Formats: sequence, C-alpha cells, structure tokens
Amino acid sequence: MSAMSRRRGRRLVADASIRILLVVFTCWTLGPIAWGVVSSLLPTEALIQTPPDLSPAKFTLANFEEVLGSGHNLVQGLLNSAIVATLTAGIALVLGSMAAYALARLRVPGGNRLLLIVLATQMFPGIVIVIPLFVVLSRAGLIDTYAGLVLVYLSFILPIVIWVLKGFFEAIPPQLERAAAVDGASPLQTFRLIVLPISLPPLFATAVFAFIEAWNEFFFAIILTRLDVKTGPIAIAEFSGQYQTLYGQMVAAAVLASIPVVLLAVVFRQYILKGFVEGAVKG
Amino acid sequence: MADRSATAAAGRRSSVGYAERRRRAGLLLVAPALVVLIAVLALPIVASIVLAFQEADSATGAFGGSWVGLDNFAAVPSDPAFGIALRNSVYFTLVEVTVVVVAGLGIALLLNHRLGRSGFFIVILLIPWALAPVANATLWKWIYNANYGILNVVLRQLGVIDDNVVWLGDPWLALHAMLLADIWKSVPFIALLLLAGLQNVPQILYRAARLDGASALQAFRHVTLPQLRTTLLIAVVLQSIWALKVFDLIYVLTKGGPADGTVTLNFLAYRVTFNFGDMGYGAAIADVLFLLMFGLALLYVRVFRPGRAAVAPG
Repeated sequence: MSAMSRRRGRRLVADASIRILLVVFTCWTLGPIAWGVVSSLLPTEALIQTPPDLSPAKFTLANFEEVLGSGHNLVQGLLNSAIVATLTAGIALVLGSMAAYALARLRVPGGNRLLLIVLATQMFPGIVIVIPLFVVLSRAGLIDTYAGLVLVYLSFILPIVIWVLKGFFEAIPPQLERAAAVDGASPLQTFRLIVLPISLPPLFATAVFAFIEAWNEFFFAIILTRLDVKTGPIAIAEFSGQYQTLYGQMVAAAVLASIPVVLLAVVFRQYILKGFVEGAVKG
Repeated sequence: MADRSATAAAGRRSSVGYAERRRRAGLLLVAPALVVLIAVLALPIVASIVLAFQEADSATGAFGGSWVGLDNFAAVPSDPAFGIALRNSVYFTLVEVTVVVVAGLGIALLLNHRLGRSGFFIVILLIPWALAPVANATLWKWIYNANYGILNVVLRQLGVIDDNVVWLGDPWLALHAMLLADIWKSVPFIALLLLAGLQNVPQILYRAARLDGASALQAFRHVTLPQLRTTLLIAVVLQSIWALKVFDLIYVLTKGGPADGTVTLNFLAYRVTFNFGDMGYGAAIADVLFLLMFGLALLYVRVFRPGRAAVAPG
C-alpha cells in the first residue's frame, strides 16, 4: 500500500518537473520572439522608458506603416527577395528533380560518387566560392542583377534539393515504372507523366524549403548586390545600422521579413520534418 | 531479367536496348544540374585555390595578377588578426556545438516524453529555425541594447546588476552575447533532428530494459545513448560546419569588434577581401577555413553514407 502510494507520489513529482521544464522551454524559445513582436508594436517613447511602458493604449501599427513607407527601401528589398527566392526555387526544382530522379533510378555511371561530392560541397564555406564568383560576375556585368544572384544561390540550394528529392523518388514503388515501360513509355516519358505527377507534394515542399533558404540568404547578397536587387535581409541590416535609435521600426522590419518564411515553415511542417530532419537522420 | 518484356516493348520502338536508353536518359537528366554545379561550385573552388597563389588586388581588377607562390599563405601565421580570428572561431565553435547539442538533446528527450508530445512544441521550435539570420541578429541587437535593451531591464529588476551593461562593448561579453543569440537560433533544428533519432529507437529495447529492472537513468545511458550515437555524431558535425560559417550575426551585431573580439575566420576572409581589397590574401584565409571544413565534411560523409540507415541496431 505505502509502496504504491510512494510510487504514485514519485510519479506526480516527475510529471510536475516535466511540466515545469516544458514551460521553461516554451518561455526560452518564444520569449525573444514575443518581445520582438511587442517591441514592433510600440512607439519609441514607450520603449525607452524603464521599465518599458506596456500599457495596451500604447500599441500601434505606426512602426509598420513607417517601414513600409516610401522613405525606406524595405518594400523593394522584400520584393527583390520574393523574386530571387521564387526564381531560385523554381529553377532548383526543375534541374534538381531531373537530376534526383536520374540518380535515384536511372543508374547514372558514377552516380553515387557524384551524390557524395554534391553533399560534401554543401559544407564548403561561401567565402571560398564567392571571391572568384565576384570576379567573374563583375566581368560579365552580372553584379546587382537577379540572374547573377539566382545563379549563385543555386550553388547551395540545388545540392539540398537533389539530395532530398532523391530520397522521395527512391520511395516510389518501382513496379509503377516497370508497368509504364511495358506500355512502351520511354524513361523520360515515365519521369514526366508518371513520376512527377505523383510526387507533387514532396516537390512542393522542397520548393518551399528552397524559397525559405533563398529568402533568408544574406552573405552572397551583401557581396553580389549594390542597389537594384538589394534583398530584404540587406535592407534590414542597413536599417539597423543606419537608424540605430528607431528601435521599434528596426524590429518591425525584422518581423515583417520573418512573417512569410515562418508561416511557410509552420504550414508545411509535416513535409519539412519528413524531408529534411528525418532525411538527415536516415540518410 | 524481369525487364525482358519491357525491353521487348521498347525494342519495337527503337533499336537501342531499354537499359541503354535508361542510361542515356539518366545522363540527359543529370547534365543540366551538373553543368550549373560545375559552373557555380567546382570552378570557383579551383579558382579560389589558384587565386591564393596570386597577388590580386580588387582595385586592379583581380585575376591574372602576378604569381606570388606561397607568399599569401606565408603571411597567414604571422598576421595577428588571423591568430585572433582562429582562436575566436575555435572557441565559438566548441562552445556553440557543445551547448547546442546538449540543449538539443535535453529538449528532444523532453518532447519525446509522454507529456511533451504535442504539435504545439514542434511549431514553436520551427519559428526560430525559419527566422532569417539577419532578423534574428536585429532582434538580439535590440535585446542587448545598452540603454533600453530588455536584458538590462530584466537583470536590473532582478538585482543581478546595478548598472546597465554594454553587452556589445567588451570583446569577451560581445563574443558571448553572440554565442547566446546563435545558440538560441541553432538549438531547434538539432532538437528536431535528435527527436527524430529518438523516435527511431525501437520501443522494445526500453521494455526489455525495464524488465531487467533498469532505472530511467540507466535506460538512458545503456539504451538511448548507444542507439542515438550516429545521430548525435551527425548533429555535432553539421553544427560545427554551421558554426564556422556564422556571418550574418557578426555583421549586424558587432562587425567583428570591439578590438576584433568577434572576428572569426569567415568574417576575416570577408573583411580582407571586400573591405581591404586584398583578394589573394583573402582567398588564402578562405582556403585555410576550407581545409578545416573539408575535414569535417569528410567526417560527415564517413558517418553518413547514402542509403545506410544511420540508426542501425548495435
């Protein structure tokens, strides 16, 4: 009797501590984000009081109106990001799905070695490739153009797309392709008419991932853009460098740029978890 | 052999065998991606190595500069900024990876617990992960603000500090402020990765351990850890590579200062090349970093061969 109640007591204590840890974890993860969102909704006068004035009457969308206004280049930056990210994701998906299917199913000579090299290049620091690319793109007049930026973005996005899609294509039952072959379909027809249509969900998820990566990219963008195709992250970095004291606006710009990618990640979480996280564990 | 009927069907339409057509189709499909990757990855990597043996000034148009043999590499060890950057990179990476993997494992265990299995926790992990690194850096710049930052406000209210601390004004503090911001952003992915690893551990092993009278701690040591070994190794290698690549955070928070206290190898190579215009020397520093990361990449590939289940039994 007493042993049982002791066991139950111990279980209650264990559950309570797990619950406390979960609360701590939630606060730790959401705290900075919550503070960022709150700050973006408060005028500077409220933010520079100690402690900050959090009375509901102070909340306003003024910071957002200000950073979206014509005085800043945030809107143009986000627009550029959207264009570059869409182009990158689209091209990476077309080239990547073709290569991934070939590597998964069509016995390309040296395919496995190629795959390993593709994976390894993923780990090279951007600075190594950006110096020669900068020189070549300057000569070709491609600095500060969409084409130049998209081309360079493919260097790190295409490998991930190939790697992830290869995993998806391998999971398609081979009987399907064999049946198509019996019906006289060529390998290319099989790919286009059978494999691609049934792979739409993973293709879409991979495109979402590629979009997020390209949207967030900063390092190549700061080196390869000047004025015309400055992306969202550049606009935010410049803002937080130039207008250091407009705290609310600085954070509002960061919040605005984060909303699309956070939404995409949350909405498509099932695919991201399956494709990227479990893919990295299972190989 | 099973393809014989397929071969026959295909053979009616062309004289080339089905296997051969598959091979050709494969090459055709791989070619475009391969061409792009060679152009934007392979050639630049080779060019970067060539560049490091040249005196190439961005003002003079670079490339085709004069050959200087090993001069650029010879200058590396005696450059005090390189020494500082190397020390910062190694320290940053060691601390970052250790904390991220330990915290990630803790969170993964928590979320694998009966009470932690809620989609809500997965969603909140995805938010810091998806955030643009620049947005993250801006957020922390505001948190660390010396006059009005929430960190100073909270610590003063708690009585931990009496006066505001200039978090980004001291080399040691700035480096650790950067570490904290980077750790906060990096933990979620590793936690998700390890959670996926935990969910692959066969439940029967835990049942067996419990039957043998193992405590929760013993089960963790003798079942969880050995089963999770490969996943942990992947997490360590991936996170080391990412830690060595950190750039956005430094650019926004400190630009490498104060007194080069937050300059890493990656940032130094950028500064030498694009602020000082010395492309040859910048490429040499980049190549040193490249070798360091190449070693890690090889390790990753060894751990993680395609097609092999990482969470293999035993």
